[in-house]
Amino acid sequence: MNKSEFIFNKVCLFLERFMIIVFGLLVLDVLFQVFSRYLLGTSFTWTEEFARFCLIWMTILGAAYLNGKREHLSMDFLYDKLNDQNKKKVSVLIEILIFLFALIVMVVGGLNLVYTTLHLEQLSGTLRIPLGYIYAILPFSGFLIMCFSIYHISNIYKNKINL
Amino acid sequence: MSIEVISIIVLFVSFFTLLLLKVPVAYSIGIATTLSLLLNIDKMPGLTTIAQRMTTGIDSFALLAIPFFILAGDIMKRGGIANRLINFAKSLVASLPGGLAYVNILASMLFGAISGSAVAAASAIGSIMTDRMEEEGYPRTLSASVNITASTTGLLIPPSNILIVYALASGGTASVAALFIAGYLPGILLGFAIMGYVAFIAISKGYSKGKRSTLREIWTYFRKAFFSLLLLVVVVGGIVAGIFTATEASVIAVLYAAVLSLIYGDMKTKDFPSVLLSSAKTTAVVMFLICTSMAMSWLFSFEGIPEMISSFLLESLNNKFAIFLAINLILLVVGTFMDMTPAVLIFTPIFLPVVTTLGMHPVHFGIVIVLNLCIGICTPPVGTLLFVGSGVAKISVTKVIRPLLPFLALMVAVLMLISFIPEISMALPNAFGL
Amino acid sequence: KKDNGTKVLYLGHSLPQTHPVHKGILEFQKALEKKSNGTLSVKIFPDGQLGSEREVLELLQIGSVAATKVSAATLSNFVPEYHILGIPYLFRDKEHQFEVLEGKIGKSILEKGSKFWLRGLCYYDAGSRSFYTSNKAIRTPEDLKGLKIRVMNNQMAINMVNALGGSATPLSYGELYTAIQQGVVDGAENNPPSFVSSNHYEICKYYTIDQHSSIPDVLLIGTKYWESLTEQEQIWVQAAADESAQAEKIFWNESVEECMAISKKAGVEIIIPDKSLFAEKSKSVVEEFLKEFPEMAPIVNEIKNN
Ligand code: NA
Ligand code: NA
Repeated sequence: MNKSEFIFNKVCLFLERFMIIVFGLLVLDVLFQVFSRYLLGTSFTWTEEFARFCLIWMTILGAAYLNGKREHLSMDFLYDKLNDQNKKKVSVLIEILIFLFALIVMVVGGLNLVYTTLHLEQLSGTLRIPLGYIYAILPFSGFLIMCFSIYHISNIYKNKINL
Repeated sequence: MSIEVISIIVLFVSFFTLLLLKVPVAYSIGIATTLSLLLNIDKMPGLTTIAQRMTTGIDSFALLAIPFFILAGDIMKRGGIANRLINFAKSLVASLPGGLAYVNILASMLFGAISGSAVAAASAIGSIMTDRMEEEGYPRTLSASVNITASTTGLLIPPSNILIVYALASGGTASVAALFIAGYLPGILLGFAIMGYVAFIAISKGYSKGKRSTLREIWTYFRKAFFSLLLLVVVVGGIVAGIFTATEASVIAVLYAAVLSLIYGDMKTKDFPSVLLSSAKTTAVVMFLICTSMAMSWLFSFEGIPEMISSFLLESLNNKFAIFLAINLILLVVGTFMDMTPAVLIFTPIFLPVVTTLGMHPVHFGIVIVLNLCIGICTPPVGTLLFVGSGVAKISVTKVIRPLLPFLALMVAVLMLISFIPEISMALPNAFGL
Repeated sequence: KKDNGTKVLYLGHSLPQTHPVHKGILEFQKALEKKSNGTLSVKIFPDGQLGSEREVLELLQIGSVAATKVSAATLSNFVPEYHILGIPYLFRDKEHQFEVLEGKIGKSILEKGSKFWLRGLCYYDAGSRSFYTSNKAIRTPEDLKGLKIRVMNNQMAINMVNALGGSATPLSYGELYTAIQQGVVDGAENNPPSFVSSNHYEICKYYTIDQHSSIPDVLLIGTKYWESLTEQEQIWVQAAADESAQAEKIFWNESVEECMAISKKAGVEIIIPDKSLFAEKSKSVVEEFLKEFPEMAPIVNEIKNN
């Protein structure tokens, strides 16, 4: 196992742990919301907001993880008809397009969004945390996706990926 | 050519090219949206807006039903609950041709009806049923098609969040109570239509005509499935008794399924992380698609595409039936590209005044628009339910499309019946004086 | 925002088109197009087409949408001074309210937004919020004891319901209708037009006009867009906003009358309670608020003494 593969596996493991923890917290949070309201007769104001933020983090970081594992949904009816040489070219092109989207929208657009909301001090309604922290997941995941794309392209050239 | 027209062309051409290139669907939507939006507004605000829409598009408590029902479904599958439920259901209907498909339809309808969310129904039932139906020889694509289309009935059968959204958009001309009552018959009619078609397939292909179970066997399966069946009672009962909301019900299903699986002994505490991970992956597939399609949906509103389409078509027609047809056609087209809630919010104010002048009741139109958009959420490119249904069935979206087509045609046929026979929707509300 | 001789101002808000505030915004559109001789036009996106109130405020800051109308409650998460307008029983009556809002204090709060790239143009009347309940009538604050009341996801609103003895329950607005119907919550609070447009009057038997808070709506323009306008255009925009604010007040009153009639006709019992009992019990909310934002005490005092 070479060094990049080692790092790749570590990152995937980190993402898996992260998703498990956030999902677990999400379940506990909404259960707590129901039980506190019904059994204790009091509602905690932050549970709904916390749940929504967990969902955002889980989804967008999960999207990066899926890029690592190449498990996003795609349509392959034309791709299947290509020969191996062309499949290789198209696969590289796909990774480049994903790389560009991650760079331009998720990292550049996302960082500007984080910057704007932090600079203008917008706070969430009940948890009173800066919204910029929630949005930060977007550029962070975008950066991971870019790294994964480079990693996949190098593997395609080394013929390490099943096309 | 105006900039709007150019940006629409850019959007569609780039989108389909990317799809054909096998760029992941979520990214195809995102990239096409970016290209089109950048024609209209400055770079930095444009990119930042897409980033914002991707995040805020899923910033909704109601969407939590998706991960929770996926998780509940995964636990039910691993924890032996699903098997017990399906064994019992099978003992009841297996002697009919296509028996297991009926189980899928009924379960999807029931779940959709209870949760008010088609997506929840598709994810909960689809994840359990697809494997079982495959064991009995049904292609996964058929189970997914059945599951996807039957789940839409839950949006018509109350409670239904989308009907509440419509009532709001109608400016109070349609009452929620009347809409809820009006939804029953169309929802059930759609369910029967799907069953009828499944019976046809099952007979012609000879799917699983099992032997009839004896009463004693049925009783045995019922006893084994008792606490699993109770899950439905707890979920429905909790909503009806006002202990929790429809969205919260999804997490109660998770808790109940987890506890029961531990008691059955089919799952141990240490199994939960791996179940959480597999559900989180399924969730991410579905939710990330929703992220970028929400950005695309926003672009539609921003460019005024809905109004453009409708004014173009309506100005050239003057016959009542032609206009009803045209409206349905527009909604069908729009529904393929747009998510349900924004479509209802955008089109209700545009079409409602037109149809009421032509004598259509606002409640009737509400059922028509919701059923119409139910078809849209089953179609690519923006088809939340299609994505969920094929996601939980673990098959590619492309593979489901062909077997899904006859089901969609069936839905269109039902839509026509419901559009042109107001009594199907209005009989119950009229009987109750609503 | 593209030019073909005219500048287009994109305005998004989340109300339905039958709502009186939307009619006010239509007046803004009409007045601005008239004043500018058609060189400035307004494109309105109602029904939350461009996003929720919070999201569109962010789009103003980002610069892709020019203007919006939001509740001052939503705005307070961006511009803290707007918290003040959510204080229960802040104003003695409507006359007092608009003397303050259209006077020096109100204008200074509108200007506070510029620091956050959200320039306030004018206030729209959004009436007063009151409790409505499905089964249990609220006649005095004591009746609120143990009732689960849905509130906006906003600290002041939550504190107020709790101070009055109720149990504040933040639920998403989309789930509210069924939540009331099934009894997850016992009621909610809002102004008459929203009580009717949300159809909650169908499932609530009692509407207690305690008028605990009178949070106005605010018309805002992003400073990015504002600065792209010429001085003359800025004057037109401000003047059009001021005109629409006056027209909107009339629309609002008509709508309240109409909605109260609809509610009564649907069998809702309208309860007129002794408001002073509610005002008395909600005083702790102000104290709590001033503990968090001591710098706002002078403004609160100035409003009360106005
Ligand atoms: Na339902
Ligand atoms: Na679609």
